[in-house]
Amino acid sequence: MTPAGTAVTGGAGGRGDYAPALITDAGAEEGAEGVAADVVRAAAAAMGGWRTCVCPARELGAGVLATPDARTVVVTTDNPNAVRDAVTAARRAGVAVVVGCADETARRRAAELRADDWYVLPGTADEVAARVRTALTRAAPGGAAATADRIERAEFEHLLYDARTGLPTLPVAIERSRAGITERGELVVLYLNFVRYSKLEEIYGWERLDAVLETTAEAVRGFIGGTALANSRALVTYTNDADVVLFHVPAAGRPAATDAEITELSGGLAAHVAARIEAAHGEEVAALFDIYVGVAHVYHNPKVRLERLVYRGIREAANAAKSVAERERARKVADLRASLRDGLVYVDYHPIVEAATRRVFGYEALARGVLRALRSPEVMFEVAAEADLLWELSRLCRTRAVEGMATRLSRGELLFLNVDPQDFADPEFTERQLAVDDPRRVVIEITERTAIKDYPKFRERLRAFRDAGFRFAVDDAGSGYAGLGSIANLEPDFIKLDMSLIASIDANFIKQNLVETMVKFANDQGAMVIAEGVERAEEFDAVRGLGVHLVQGFYLHRPAEGEHAGEGAGLLH
Amino acid sequence: MPERPPILVVDDNFDNTEIIAHYLGARGYPITVAHDGDEAMARFEEVRPALVLLDVMMPGRDGWEVCRLMRQHPALGKRVRIIMVTALDEWDDKRQALQTGADDYVTKPFDLPKLAATVERNAALLPPPLPATPAEA
Repeated sequence: MTPAGTAVTGGAGGRGDYAPALITDAGAEEGAEGVAADVVRAAAAAMGGWRTCVCPARELGAGVLATPDARTVVVTTDNPNAVRDAVTAARRAGVAVVVGCADETARRRAAELRADDWYVLPGTADEVAARVRTALTRAAPGGAAATADRIERAEFEHLLYDARTGLPTLPVAIERSRAGITERGELVVLYLNFVRYSKLEEIYGWERLDAVLETTAEAVRGFIGGTALANSRALVTYTNDADVVLFHVPAAGRPAATDAEITELSGGLAAHVAARIEAAHGEEVAALFDIYVGVAHVYHNPKVRLERLVYRGIREAANAAKSVAERERARKVADLRASLRDGLVYVDYHPIVEAATRRVFGYEALARGVLRALRSPEVMFEVAAEADLLWELSRLCRTRAVEGMATRLSRGELLFLNVDPQDFADPEFTERQLAVDDPRRVVIEITERTAIKDYPKFRERLRAFRDAGFRFAVDDAGSGYAGLGSIANLEPDFIKLDMSLIASIDANFIKQNLVETMVKFANDQGAMVIAEGVERAEEFDAVRGLGVHLVQGFYLHRPAEGEHAGEGAGLLH
Repeated sequence: MPERPPILVVDDNFDNTEIIAHYLGARGYPITVAHDGDEAMARFEEVRPALVLLDVMMPGRDGWEVCRLMRQHPALGKRVRIIMVTALDEWDDKRQALQTGADDYVTKPFDLPKLAATVERNAALLPPPLPATPAEA
């Protein structure tokens, strides 16, 4: 129902022209505030042809009920009973209520009575008209019942469709496909297992993960549209999870997609989604992406409930996806072993720049696999951890990173070296084994994300490195809820802020506040703060403004394309 | 006078909503109030506020949950700026505020000029308004 302007049939007294009525007590009492009355009348005129009915405060309720054209009542009296009566009558008649308030008490009363809106007496014509308009929209859907109904609807919608991807959830998809499956007698279930999305959230924060999920859903829909599965009935998602289920019910007279077709499709799908993610979110994010597709056929059986058949099919397809994932993992482990044997690791040097001068302060060494499957450092180290090859890989990466120091770094520039807390348990990782000429030029980065198991031992090793001249950085600082205490424990020389704190920091005041706190803390401790993942000029200006000392990210440096990216990388600014 | 963005003020305490509504209303912001999470969600859809001042401690759906729900709203979730109102000023509170999708926060008890400044700096970052959509039929 539109609140205002709806034609009302048969106005009182046989008057042909209908005009919505504003009922008010303003001006009813002689000698009372004339200004308020003028204001209300002017407001009614400003509403475009409204008429004003003035009646004494005590008769407002009756007036509302007696006027079929009444749309709004504006109450200006300070008599509580009259206000209450007017509100009650207005509620019964579905008329909006605006209360003009003389003081705090009147305002509180208006709020308690749930008036639709209020203003401070005497007000202005514009303001009263605005209040009347908002009151009309609020009163429109018809009170508390409608509100409850809307909430319920929103909640259900929430259960039926994923807010991020817009994909229907499983029960909806089953309902939609029911007729098709019964008629056709078969259904192909594809289970699309997207891996490492949780890693994405861990590194870049949930905002980025949400955006990537949206891109993924869109890319999957776009790809399926152009294939043999185009006639499929439904794509399904588990709310807030990366996995997607696709129901393929072949169209009448067409054969279902064959397993060979599906295998080919899943290869194409992986490439397509990866390309879209790279275009929208960059290479680093895309490198983390992997998809495994499992297939199951479900045949209609009138004796078994359809839901059960479908769920069974999904489970089967999920298991198939898992076995594909395991095959892939075995292949990656083999790649890693080959890489370790032949030293197939290269190092990207990402510049760390002074915020004030933009001069290069040092470089973070990022080791990457030469083999394509191990290009992403995250993936490579994940595979190493699963295959129990972490120490071996770390040793190779450290050696490579230090080797490049002489050629890649100028004098005085520092090398930032990632070290996993587990590496400190490696007997070969000692302050003497790291073959550097000047340990003061090496900063060991320790992530805040991984829990340190043997703390006393860890501290003892830290001390040995520190005594030899090495310095320390806490990586991903502020990623957890822990606050500053755990950082202080490590007595770092550098504090590297978690990337999720930097993304869009210019538009988020909480992030600014947290970074400010961290900078203050660092200044007290005599440490320097590094902002990592700075991609935009606005982010750069924001962190510099907050006193961050050093900056790293694509805003200052884009890795060159192609193999061995480290070699041609230059500063953009 | 530049158009002030509409604000939804959510607090289970009537005194608080009243004080805030009065203070910000006097500065030209159109104010809507709600006193619990459900009412907040209903008002949110109705008035489509540009800013939400959201109290964390409320019975029923608390501020965190309301914040999450608002952010997930398909039409409005990305445009609205949400300011959490919290009695606590600790690191993990702010971290949680970030995690649930808030843009800013103010601490209780209220320092009204500071509240106005917070509202103002968020208003300055609002995306340009959508073309007017007709009210729901």
